[in-house]
Amino acid sequence: MSSHEGVDHDVPLLELRGVRAAYGRIEVLHGVDLAVPEGAVVALLGPNGAGKTTTLNVCAGLMEPTQGSVYLAGRRINGAAPDQLARLGVCTIPEGRGVFPNLTVRENLSMMTFSGRSLPEVEAVAYERFPRLAERRSQLAGTMSGGEQQMLAMARGLATDPALLLLDELSMGLAPLIVEELYAIVAQIAATGVSILVVEQFARTVLGVADYAAIMASGRIVQVGTPADLEAELSSAYLGG
Amino acid sequence: METNTQRVEEFKQEVASMHLSAPVDASERTWLLVGIGLAVAGIVFIVFGWYGASGEAEVAKQVPYIISGAVVGLGFVMAGCALFLRYSLGRYLRFWLVRDLYEQRAQTDRIIEALHATGRGREEF
Ligand SMILES: Nc1ncnc2c1ncn2[C@@H]1O[C@H](COP(=O)(O)OP(=O)(O)OP(=O)(O)O)[C@@H](O)[C@H]1O
Ligand SMILES: [Mg+2]
Repeated sequence: MSSHEGVDHDVPLLELRGVRAAYGRIEVLHGVDLAVPEGAVVALLGPNGAGKTTTLNVCAGLMEPTQGSVYLAGRRINGAAPDQLARLGVCTIPEGRGVFPNLTVRENLSMMTFSGRSLPEVEAVAYERFPRLAERRSQLAGTMSGGEQQMLAMARGLATDPALLLLDELSMGLAPLIVEELYAIVAQIAATGVSILVVEQFARTVLGVADYAAIMASGRIVQVGTPADLEAELSSAYLGG
Repeated sequence: METNTQRVEEFKQEVASMHLSAPVDASERTWLLVGIGLAVAGIVFIVFGWYGASGEAEVAKQVPYIISGAVVGLGFVMAGCALFLRYSLGRYLRFWLVRDLYEQRAQTDRIIEALHATGRGREEF
């Protein structure tokens, strides 16, 4: 990898340029421009139906833009299959977590051995980051609390050794204390060099860990800045703090 | 865990050397259309073959029409139908699988809810 020394670090790890996307004939993204610099945490904020999840789906290869481009590390990847991107290290943790409720914690983790790691390795990584999961390894995922399920979803994501993490509404339905705990872990993950795009409706906690934030409304990015820039806006605007 | 720049470099390299193929969905639709096209072309061949053969009194002169019309035409129809079935059924079966998964999850949720109702559920944070 020494051939990459002196590489241009201005190229964002993930970039959307003029992305339009539609469900059937209904266009929901009307030209989205967004960049996630290497190693940065970017928060994408906005109200219900703004198109945040759709934006993540486009990044993950689950939807192809009807217009515009998606770049990974400077390469245009429109049309790449989601499994291809997942194998490279683009990891999506979807809204509603996407754990298998009728499998145990351990069985859920064993699903991630596709990435080439053995189950003991996957478990070791998961339990180091989330000790609480270790106590519950034989419990059915669906019977755990929301916070624990979110931890499991994150542990599963981390097992793939991601380079880019796409997180959708980590805080959904969780108590503020748990949300803070989860974001502390997000910050730890970011500190290891993983670039993160995180979607939230409510801003407060995520702005604490984000390097940049963007506000989305009705399929467009309406504002981009540092968390400090946006905090003042947000407290007065539609997000209600 | 320490900062892992090597992982990022590896990622960049893999992205750069990734092979981008047409999305499955698009190629599938193409094959579906090819199948329909082949079947229609086959029917056209058969009609022309029949038309040509019916205009010839001698059996020997009817043979070429039968070959290019009936045999080639039938071949096209069969290949076209096979493609059509393969690519329309594949799609259908996938939807079915997803639906099945979805319903199974909903079912599990209901069971968990019922467990909660009997007071044997989890403690909340
Ligand atoms: N599968 C779908 N089919 C049709 N329309 C959809 C679909 N998914 C989302 N939409 C529409 O696209 C728009 C954007 O949806 P999206 O899920 O991206 O919003 P969001 O910002 O993630 O909202 P939320 O905060 O509620 O999760 C909405 O108007 C929604 O109704
Ligand atoms: Mg959403």
